Amino acid sequence: MRMLISVVLFSTFVTLVSTVLQLYLDYRRDIDVIENHFDEIDRGSLGVIATSLWNVDIDQLQTILDGLLRLPDMQALEVTETGEYTSNLSVKAGSKQKKAALFRDYPIFYTSEGVARRIGTLHAEATFSGVYQRLIDAAVVILVSQAIKIFLVALFIVLIFYQMVGRHLSTISQWLSRYDLTEQRPVLALPGKPRTPPDELDGLVFSLNDMTNRLLGAYRALTDANAQMERDIVARFHAEREVVRLNAILEQRVKQRTFELEAANEELAAFAYSVSHDLRAPLRRIEGFGQILVQEHAEHLDEQAVHYLDRMCAGAKDMADMIDSFLKLSRSTRGELAIETLDLSAMAAETVHRLREKTPDREIDVVIEPGLTVEGDRRLLGVVLENLFENAWKYTRKAAHPSITFGADQQDGKVRFHLRDNGTGFDMAHAKRLFSPFVRLHRPEDFEGTGVGLATVQRIIVRHGGRVWADAQVGVGATFYFTCWEKGTNDGQQ
Amino acid sequence: MGSNKVLLVEDNSDDVELMLHAFKSGRIANDVDVVRDGESALDYLMRRGSFAGRDKSEQPALILLDLKLPGIDGLEVLRQIRANPDTKRIPVAILTTSDDEADIIRGYDLGVNSYIRKPVGFTAFTDMVEKLGLYWLVVNIAAPS
Ligand SMILES: Nc1ncnc2c1ncn2[C@@H]1O[C@H](COP(=O)(O)OP(=O)(O)OP(=O)(O)O)[C@@H](O)[C@H]1O
Ligand SMILES: [Mg+2]
Repeated sequence: MRMLISVVLFSTFVTLVSTVLQLYLDYRRDIDVIENHFDEIDRGSLGVIATSLWNVDIDQLQTILDGLLRLPDMQALEVTETGEYTSNLSVKAGSKQKKAALFRDYPIFYTSEGVARRIGTLHAEATFSGVYQRLIDAAVVILVSQAIKIFLVALFIVLIFYQMVGRHLSTISQWLSRYDLTEQRPVLALPGKPRTPPDELDGLVFSLNDMTNRLLGAYRALTDANAQMERDIVARFHAEREVVRLNAILEQRVKQRTFELEAANEELAAFAYSVSHDLRAPLRRIEGFGQILVQEHAEHLDEQAVHYLDRMCAGAKDMADMIDSFLKLSRSTRGELAIETLDLSAMAAETVHRLREKTPDREIDVVIEPGLTVEGDRRLLGVVLENLFENAWKYTRKAAHPSITFGADQQDGKVRFHLRDNGTGFDMAHAKRLFSPFVRLHRPEDFEGTGVGLATVQRIIVRHGGRVWADAQVGVGATFYFTCWEKGTNDGQQ
Repeated sequence: MGSNKVLLVEDNSDDVELMLHAFKSGRIANDVDVVRDGESALDYLMRRGSFAGRDKSEQPALILLDLKLPGIDGLEVLRQIRANPDTKRIPVAILTTSDDEADIIRGYDLGVNSYIRKPVGFTAFTDMVEKLGLYWLVVNIAAPS
């Protein structure tokens, strides 16, 4: 609509300018025509008028003036006599206007005998009203026709525009307003015959269709990705719930196991307590009364009886020793570990010192590598060293030049401690059983003991995250190896 | 105090017999009064129940206390002995077959004077009783009553 108004206004303006120009030209032409008439009067009629005036032929003059008055736009004509004759003769045709628009005064000369004398004046007056009337008529005609033309042209333009662009645009706008990203819409197509070659609108439509296609593609990709993500999230959610569930089960199980273990431990502790009390007490009695018999009633007994009593008492003592070892073993697996950095070399030296004091008659070469350290529980690793050195001490008893070395080497980046002796050794076929409680590879007549020492060692080493194993040869000697924290941590408890 | 008595708190008659035998072998001449459970031990020391008529000056010079007793156990007896102003200064030696660390710690916390583990060998036991008697009944100077 705005366009229509612009078209109309612009055309109107152009029409007005051209009309004004046209009218001005018409006006000039009409003025020229009038001027021509005046000239014609000069050339054609002035002679006759002069003659008639000279002859004072009034009628003739009147006729001529009336004739001239018929010239277009001529309004008034008057001939007045001038000169020595002042009869003031005046002949008129038409009526003079107060303010003539266009007039001309012609002097009238009469030539007789070669002398031209001025005998009068012709005053010719033309009117503009005709000119104006014509101008107005022309203007009206031009304006009306122009107005109709403008209107028609505008209408035509609008129609054409609508036909060519407007309806397409409204189609496009409707299509766009119905456009929905989420679903496949019919392809945008303009009504009417297809244009060849394609114009800007076709380009627009093509671009729009292309764009919607790409948008739809992008949208689908996005929804696909979203759906995938949703599925992933759901899956993850399920997985997490499963993990939580499994964790809960695991925790429950751990709790239960811990509880069972604690119960078992408590039971074991109670058992150990009761063993130390209740089993030792009767042994003491057997041994005690046996001793009283041997010491105070020997006179009533024969040698054989005394021997039996002796064996009885020895058995009771052995059993008491076993119970003590057993208690040591059970204690080695109980209680918290108090981990600190230990100077194993120093601890080994202390152990050797104690053993030397206990058995001053033994002469044993002992070499301890200095600077051996480990993270561990002082009391428990002390028990380990004590048992290993005790064994080395004991089983080198029959060697000619007993010697013991304690040191460490690296194996797979881990420190491996070793304690080597040149004692009696043992058969490697039994090496595995060595660490079970109450297992002994030697006869008590040869080497006394209860067979709990290495079992205790193994439990303690396991609690320190390590392993213990042995290498030996009968008659050559034995080497015991142990490691700590093989998995790298020193806070794990077994 | 004045008394030279030893109070033995021990539930097992065989153990009592062995202990008395050890006293004899260890040449400790002191009188030994024997009670067989914690309740009686406290009655004896606080002079109540069947011991109500016991002379106050007859408080023992040493108490030998077994830990495992029927009824009130040894540690509880020790606690009550230490809580009572009449008995809190009497030397108490725990004589037991157990070497349970927790028991030892609690015994010392409750103010025991000695904690002795009865050895299995009778000879060693006799030695021990002899040394114990020598120390607490002869060498040691008791708190004035
Ligand atoms: N250094 C060694 N040389 C040879 N044999 C050994 C050595 N150490 C241990 N053994 C063998 O392993 C067995 C188990 O040793 P373990 O220390 O557990 O018991 P034990 O020494 O016999 O008694 P105890 O409980 O008093 O230590 C021993 O009986 C012995 O046969
Ligand atoms: Mg051993």
